[in-house]
Amino acid sequence: MSEQRRISEEMQNAFVDGELDAAEWARVAEAMGRDETLRRTLCELRMTKELVQGAYASLPSAPRRAVRRARNNARWAIAASVLFALGGWFSHAWWTKAPELDPASAYTLGRFAATMDQNLVLVHVSNGERESLGRALDEVEDLLRAARESGRSIRIEIVANRDGIDLLRAGVSPHEARVTALRARYANLELVACGQTMQRLGERGERINLLPGIEVAPSALDEVVRRLQEGWVYVRA
Amino acid sequence: MGIRLLFGRGAAVRREVEHSRDVLYRVAFAWCHDAQRADDLVHEAIEKALRNAAQLRDPKRLRGWLFRILANCLRDQQRARRDEVALDAVEERLVAAGPTPEEAHESAELVVKVRLAVARLPFGQRQVVTLVDLEGCSYSEASEALEIPVGTVMSRLCRARQALRTHLAPLATEQSETKLRSVK
Repeated sequence: MSEQRRISEEMQNAFVDGELDAAEWARVAEAMGRDETLRRTLCELRMTKELVQGAYASLPSAPRRAVRRARNNARWAIAASVLFALGGWFSHAWWTKAPELDPASAYTLGRFAATMDQNLVLVHVSNGERESLGRALDEVEDLLRAARESGRSIRIEIVANRDGIDLLRAGVSPHEARVTALRARYANLELVACGQTMQRLGERGERINLLPGIEVAPSALDEVVRRLQEGWVYVRA
Repeated sequence: MGIRLLFGRGAAVRREVEHSRDVLYRVAFAWCHDAQRADDLVHEAIEKALRNAAQLRDPKRLRGWLFRILANCLRDQQRARRDEVALDAVEERLVAAGPTPEEAHESAELVVKVRLAVARLPFGQRQVVTLVDLEGCSYSEASEALEIPVGTVMSRLCRARQALRTHLAPLATEQSETKLRSVK
């Protein structure tokens, strides 16, 4: 039986809106790991939310009075300081706002206990354009450098699928040298390719050589779900 | 913001109100999809808020308080005009006012489609989804601003998202298919 029956529609929306308490959040996250239909529904809900957000990011000015363009400031205030370093992505990013665990509930939550650390950032890259990938790398590098300079421990993972996978392909990546250098300089940067995208490219007869040190996840979605369950902050480049 | 508001509260509230103009404009626009009308509404709401700045007891609730004033202004206006504007007119306006030049061409069409899907929602649902999605209001904040129970916020949100998903899912699929086709 589908988990969706047990996770009510209200709860699904509340999950997407970061309105659940820790125990409820963990329940949905766990169900999501098992139930693909639920996962897809939640993805669609998020996408809907994201589309609505994006549709009002810049507005027509009123004819009479000029109105300054506004960014969506309110949501950003919720994010940890680490996210502020990501500046440029904000207008395109969505993430799951996991509730903070109080020590009591963390104790009962077992494997979710030590999670939800805002110093864990998952960056999802699915666009293969040179400039877009370059901007993503700029942001990641800034963040890594700032963290190192301030002695903060941080982990960043770039997961790439669709066209974005080019970033990690030897002989194809428009930023091959830079990716290799970043990887060498920062051990706390992990790079993960989507297995499904690789399979699809393989079926079309493309030869895929990944750069050294790149891991392959079964799929980008699986990786995102896994990291969200571990409390990572999700950012879409 | 908290500390500043505790001291010399009236003046500080007034400053904050002035700074909220952009946020209010976005919400007002998403509620009525008419730039001119949204601007008038914001103007009216800000005037009202400035006049009543002393009434705000808890500075942390400033945003919800402002949204409530905005919602009341719109309600009064609708009562006076008795016109829930025809959707055709909204569609025309959205296409005309449409996306700003800085938006890329292909996303421009998407923006109009999404705004139209939002405009199609019953007004109550549109208000809730706008506060939650655009302004990141919590359910309880939205409930206070719109003076409805949290349960109603949740059920309206469910129905709104369901309708939006139905309208927007084909777009999302279309987009990803275009993307897939463009993978060499």
